[in-house]
Amino acid sequence: MLFAAPAMLLFATFVLLPLGASVYYAFTFWDGFSAPRWAGFANFARALTDPTFLMSFVHVVFYIAATLIFEVTFGLVMAVLLNSDRRGFSLMRGMFFAPVVLSMSAAGVLWKFVLDYRTGLLNSTLRSVGLGDWAQPWLAQPETALLFICIVSGWKYAGFYMVIFFAALRRIPRNLYEAARLDGANGVQQFTAITLPMLKQNVIVCILLAVTGGFAGFDLFFTMTNGQPFGATEVPATWIIKQAFDQNQIGYGVALTVVLTVVVSLISIAYLKISERGNVTRY
Amino acid sequence: MSRATERRRNAAEWLQFGTAGVIVLVMFYPAIWMVYSSFKSNREIFRAPFALPSQWRWENLIEAWNVGGLGTLYLNSVFVTLVAVSMCVLFATAAAFAFTRLEFPGRKLMYRILLIGLLLPPPSVAIALFTQLRDMHLLNTPWALILPGAAWQLAFTVFLMRAYFISIRPDMEEAARLDGANTWEIFWHVSVPMVWPAMLTMVVLNTISVWNELLFALLFITDDAQRTLPVGLVRFSGYHSTDYSLVFAALTITTVPILILYFILQRHVIAGLTATAMD
Repeated sequence: MLFAAPAMLLFATFVLLPLGASVYYAFTFWDGFSAPRWAGFANFARALTDPTFLMSFVHVVFYIAATLIFEVTFGLVMAVLLNSDRRGFSLMRGMFFAPVVLSMSAAGVLWKFVLDYRTGLLNSTLRSVGLGDWAQPWLAQPETALLFICIVSGWKYAGFYMVIFFAALRRIPRNLYEAARLDGANGVQQFTAITLPMLKQNVIVCILLAVTGGFAGFDLFFTMTNGQPFGATEVPATWIIKQAFDQNQIGYGVALTVVLTVVVSLISIAYLKISERGNVTRY
Repeated sequence: MSRATERRRNAAEWLQFGTAGVIVLVMFYPAIWMVYSSFKSNREIFRAPFALPSQWRWENLIEAWNVGGLGTLYLNSVFVTLVAVSMCVLFATAAAFAFTRLEFPGRKLMYRILLIGLLLPPPSVAIALFTQLRDMHLLNTPWALILPGAAWQLAFTVFLMRAYFISIRPDMEEAARLDGANTWEIFWHVSVPMVWPAMLTMVVLNTISVWNELLFALLFITDDAQRTLPVGLVRFSGYHSTDYSLVFAALTITTVPILILYFILQRHVIAGLTATAMD
C-alpha cells in the first residue's frame, strides 16, 4: 500500500482533483477570480449552440479521418515497404521515425516555412518545375489550411505507426507466407489473407490511439494556425483555451472541457466494446 | 549479417528499395533544408530557397542563441524533464510492484482508477488545473510543469511497468522474503534490478513526452525566465516571423541535438515503443 501511495497521491492531486473540480466549475459562471456563481445547465446549453464549438468537432473529425489515412494507413504501408533485412533499410526506418521525437512546436514552425507562400519548399518546388500557377498560400486560405495541418501531422506521426506495425510484421511466422506461396498466392493475396488478419489487434489499438489522440489535438493547431484562417482550423482544444484564457470565461471553458471528456470517453468505450464483439463473432 | 542478405538483389527488391528510399528522402528533406537554411542570410533564403548557403554564417546560430535566450530555455527544459521523469518512473515502478507483488485492500480498485488516465485528454482538465496550481502558488515555478507532467505520464507508465512485472515470475522476491528481507529491501535489491530495462525504456519514452510538452507549459508558465523550449520556440518564431534565418537557426539549435540523441539511442527508443504498443 505504501508503495502505491506516492503514485496514487500524485495522480489524485493533479489528474482526479482537477477532473472533479471541472465537473463543479462547469455548472458555474466564473471569471476565475471572483466567487463562482451557480449556473445550472446554462454553460452546456450555450456549448451546444456555440457554432464555433460545434464546427470544431467537425474539424476534429476530419482531422481524425485524415490521420487514419496519413498516419495509420501510410504507417502500415511504410512498415511493409521498409520490412527488409537488406542494407540501408534500418537507416531508412530510423529516418522515417525521426520526426516522432521532435516536438510538435518545432514541427509546426518548420512546416510553416515549408508551406510559406513566397519562399516555402512546396511552392518553390512547384515554381521550379513550371507549375508556379499551382502555388498557394496553403495555410492562409480556409480551403487548404486544415488539410495541410493533417498532412504535417502525418509527416510527424506516420513513423510511430510504422514502428508498431513493423514490430508486428516481424512476429508473423515466415512459414505462413511460404505455405501461401506454394499454394500460388500472389503478394496482394498474401497481404490480405495473412498480413492484415495477423495485424488486426495492432490495427485496433492504433485506431484507438489515433482517435483519442485526435480529440486531444492541440499543439500543431496552436503552433501553425491557432484556428485561423476564419476559424477553418479551430479544434475543441484551441477554442477551449481561447474561451477560458482570452475571454476569462473559466466556467464556460471548463464546461467545454467536460463535453470534450464525455465525448472522448463515450467514443473510446463504444469502440472498445465493438472491437471486442467483433473478436467474438469472428473467431 | 546472414549470408542470405548478401545475395544479390532481384528487381522486386530494387523496386522496394528505390520506392522506400525516395519516400524517406522526400520526407526527411525538410529537416536537412532547415539545417542548411539556418546558415544563410535572409536575402539568400528569399532568392534561392533550395541553394546551399554561399557562405556558412555561424553567427546566425550565435545570434539566435543570444536573442532567443535559448540557454535558459534549455536549462529549464532539462530541469523539468529530469525531475518529472525520475519522479514518474520511480513512483510508477513502486506502484507496479505494489499492484503485482503485494496484497492489500483496494489494490484492484486503485489500479482501475489509475487507468482512467490512459484515455483522458490533457486539455480536458487544463483549465481546472490552472486554477488549482494558482491556488497552490505553483504557477510560474518549474513545479507547475513537473508535478502535472509526472502525474499525466503515470497511468501509461504504471500500466506498462505492471505488465513487465507480471511477465517476470515472482520467484526471486519470494526467495528473498524467505531469507528474511523486508518489503523495502526486496523492492530495492531484488525487483528494481530485475525491471531495470523496462524502467530505462520508460525513461526514454517519458523524456520525449515531457520534453515536448506544450499545452501545460503554455498555460502554467508566463514568466520568460521559467519557460521551456517548446513554448519558447513558438513565441520566438512569432516575434521574429519575418527574420527567416534567425528562426531557422533557433529551430536548428533546438532540434538537431534531439535528433542526434535519438539516432544514438534509436535502438532503445524503438524497442521501447514496440514493447509498449504490442499488448
